[in-house]
Amino acid sequence: MTPLLEVEEVSVRFGPVRAVDGVSLRMAAGEVLALVGESGSGKTTLVRAIQGLQSPSAGAIRLEGDAIDRVRRRQIQMVFQDPTGALNPRQTIYEVVAEGLRIRRDATDERQRVLQALAGAGMRPPERFLSLYPHEISGGQRQRVVIAGAMVMQPRLLLADEPVASLDASIRGEILVLLRQLVDETGLAVLVVTHDLGLAWNIADRVAVMYLGRIVETGATEALLANPQHPYTRALLSVIPETRQMEQQILIGEIPDPSRVPNGCRFHPRCPLLQSGTLDPATEQRCIDEDPGAIALAAREAAACWPAMAPWPRSFH
Amino acid sequence: MTDHILSVEDLSVTYHTTGGPVPAVRGVSFGVDRGASLGLAGESGCGKSTLANALLRLLPPGTDVSGRILLEGQDVLALNPGGLRAVRWTSGAIIFQGALHALNPVQRIGRQVAEPMLVHGTVPDHDAARKRTGELLEQVGLPPQRARAYPHQLSGGQRQRVLIAMALACDPALLIADEPTTALDLMVQAQVLDLLGDLRRERGLSLLFITHDLSVLTYVCGRIAIMYAGKIVEQGPATNVFESPNHPYTEALAAAFPTIGDHRARMAPSGLGGDPPDPANLPSGCPFHPRCPRVFEPCAGEDPPLVTIGRKSSAACHLMAQPALDEAEWSETIPRGDCR
Amino acid sequence: MTTAGRLRRRRTATRVVRQFAHSRPGVIGLTVLGIFAVVALAAPLIAPIEQLNPVLSRASGNPQWGRPGEFLPLGTDHLRRSVWAQFVWGSRVSLFVGLAATILTMAIGSTMGIVSGFVGGTTDRALMRVTEWFLVIPFLPLAIVLASILGRSIWNVIFVIGVTSWPATARLVRAQVLTVKQRLFVDRARSLGAGSWHLISRHVLPNVSGLILANATLAVPISILTETTLAFLGLGDPSSASWGKTLEEAFVNGAITRNAWWYFLPAGLGILAVVLAFTMIGRTLEEIADPRLGRRP
Repeated sequence: MTPLLEVEEVSVRFGPVRAVDGVSLRMAAGEVLALVGESGSGKTTLVRAIQGLQSPSAGAIRLEGDAIDRVRRRQIQMVFQDPTGALNPRQTIYEVVAEGLRIRRDATDERQRVLQALAGAGMRPPERFLSLYPHEISGGQRQRVVIAGAMVMQPRLLLADEPVASLDASIRGEILVLLRQLVDETGLAVLVVTHDLGLAWNIADRVAVMYLGRIVETGATEALLANPQHPYTRALLSVIPETRQMEQQILIGEIPDPSRVPNGCRFHPRCPLLQSGTLDPATEQRCIDEDPGAIALAAREAAACWPAMAPWPRSFH
Repeated sequence: MTDHILSVEDLSVTYHTTGGPVPAVRGVSFGVDRGASLGLAGESGCGKSTLANALLRLLPPGTDVSGRILLEGQDVLALNPGGLRAVRWTSGAIIFQGALHALNPVQRIGRQVAEPMLVHGTVPDHDAARKRTGELLEQVGLPPQRARAYPHQLSGGQRQRVLIAMALACDPALLIADEPTTALDLMVQAQVLDLLGDLRRERGLSLLFITHDLSVLTYVCGRIAIMYAGKIVEQGPATNVFESPNHPYTEALAAAFPTIGDHRARMAPSGLGGDPPDPANLPSGCPFHPRCPRVFEPCAGEDPPLVTIGRKSSAACHLMAQPALDEAEWSETIPRGDCR
Repeated sequence: MTTAGRLRRRRTATRVVRQFAHSRPGVIGLTVLGIFAVVALAAPLIAPIEQLNPVLSRASGNPQWGRPGEFLPLGTDHLRRSVWAQFVWGSRVSLFVGLAATILTMAIGSTMGIVSGFVGGTTDRALMRVTEWFLVIPFLPLAIVLASILGRSIWNVIFVIGVTSWPATARLVRAQVLTVKQRLFVDRARSLGAGSWHLISRHVLPNVSGLILANATLAVPISILTETTLAFLGLGDPSSASWGKTLEEAFVNGAITRNAWWYFLPAGLGILAVVLAFTMIGRTLEEIADPRLGRRP
């Protein structure tokens, strides 16, 4: 069976800036993948490439085996971080949701489909909302409208960029429930871009962690979050309050400029494992000199880290 | 009791708009002990930023403020303008979110850090100010040479550090931090929180930390107060508030951030319906009742007072007057979305 | 659905009207403008056009330089014509030229601004250079040259005002388009597959139209003043009686030295009142379109 989405060794360069540097990932239908990374990790550029808004400098992106063309692009829809900004204040809810259909000149049963999409996004009864303007509904409802506007296009893949980061904490759960529901009911795949590992724990099947243009670790959510292999993932997990038992491991400095990717392992200048001095000298040298490489397309669980890849004699967990 | 660096008694703030009066803060009382830290959490529109601004009288003119604010024993609301200027920066300093906008883009950061010292005369001359600026930058984890940099040459995290250095310039006893980490990345946020924790330990600084993100508070704050619709609905030691909340709202907030590894939360995000209320148009009775999963008869009629629970906590909920529920029944009543 | 949309739009219109009605300057401006519009439209009824004809005026025995008391209601000029008639017919020309020139200004300015701001890149740079070129052309010499080449007609006056006053509008609209273009809803529409035409007509235009309207109401008084200037300099249409032309004739024929205030005062006050009225309406609309300018409700 062909996977739903295949991103194969994709790189996006802007001059010397290696925003995305050899990323491969695969998603199946009905799967939620959390793409976790800080700003500067290249996650936004990767999403733009998948959307077809940014052509990759190298590599291929395929949806169900096809390159992303006009038709395929419609099957990939977006959910934005800030629903208030994503809605035109001068459009009614109806116009917002119907917009995609109108753009592709698909007028059959427009009203019926808009009502269905709104109901599907939990806006019930949908008729009540049709003639309202965005400022007349709540923040959570606005995000539902954005989701309805995407779902009316019957996408195969939803790209959700920090879908709850700008919402109040008490509303967050409802939107996550909705996304998971849509996945389970329609076989949609969702790529959630987030910095929020708690969100991954809440709804994602798999997690991919990005650092400086690369995926440095990927795996099933429970395994990865319970037993992270890459020191960057460990550090990220240690600083969030959602993991209260872990000892905090605050990295020094910030993600380097993607135009000056460090030699060897790109994480080595900040790597707490390397700095701890517990590695054997050969591995240490390797971390400094040799790039552990990108994670292969077929890999379901992998960490781009020399100590994690080598049969590791000492316990570092 | 006497060693409160800040004590706020029955503070109310009402804005006057063309749409009528908007009660943003409605009778809030709390205290911050010397060297302690209090976290104030709440969602948009709960009045937490208004409260922060009210503490140093930074609200727009024409706003009604009543109650009492004692900062190092001085009644802030009764101070004359000169006294007020002295209190700002030297007794209590405030750092805002959005570090980029709070800095002047065409001035070197060193000069901006030195400015409050020169204005308040806490240093004899420019040389002393320069020296002190270097020390301050070092304290917040920036190399002193960075004093010559312009704001745009710094990253978001570094700019936030500059703001902290600036706030520390006049050696205030209390630091009010209004969403200081909101726009920052996870790791940078952890760095800034860590820095604030260090400063508190090393300099005996008291901290009032205001945020919408309940989860960051457990790191820096000994005590937490939860605000909803202009009032404190629950207050207590940080771990208690998080792990055994008394108010259904706190419960919902805490559940919104799952513990990783907690299998009850796996594939089951939890949240509340509806939005935080509009301060201009509050529901009757307990303002939380329309969203409350445990609403019962008295809720719509009467706004519950803040009642003390145990030795250190308090909560404003009609349930507190009810016979205690056992643990199992309690957790079942909080809705969890079920995905699977 | 469109019915519901229309209903909503009507409700929005009601809201604008209500906000407008609450604004004192807006109401005063609209009232003044309304009076002038009635006067202009009713010109043939309240001031027969024959009164503008010096031959007929002489034949009907009007006094020369008749004071308002001698000849009702506003006296006569050196050619025995009724000043009242000149005032009434002049309001027609002034309002017409003001509105028509504004429409032309807005059409050119908005198009240039939207295209420049939305397309960006080389197009933007090219169009902005053109705009700047028009912005720095000294207005009067150009107007004089154009008037002498094209001849002195009311249409040429409109044309001259139109081609010289659009650059300010273009720059204003462009700036607004640039901010609208950055908004997330434009990204959203783009990710739905929207083309440029859809983005401009559905997202950009509705979000700059308030600004264009407010700017237009401010452009009208400028156009009226410009027409007055041109007419005063003798570059106006010789066959139509605008307020500017009245002022010019009053000035040339020595109304000031004769102290014949009734000759130039009505036209002068007329210009002042209409310009102020439009400015007040413009400010009010601007505040409604952009609530940040006014006090937030």
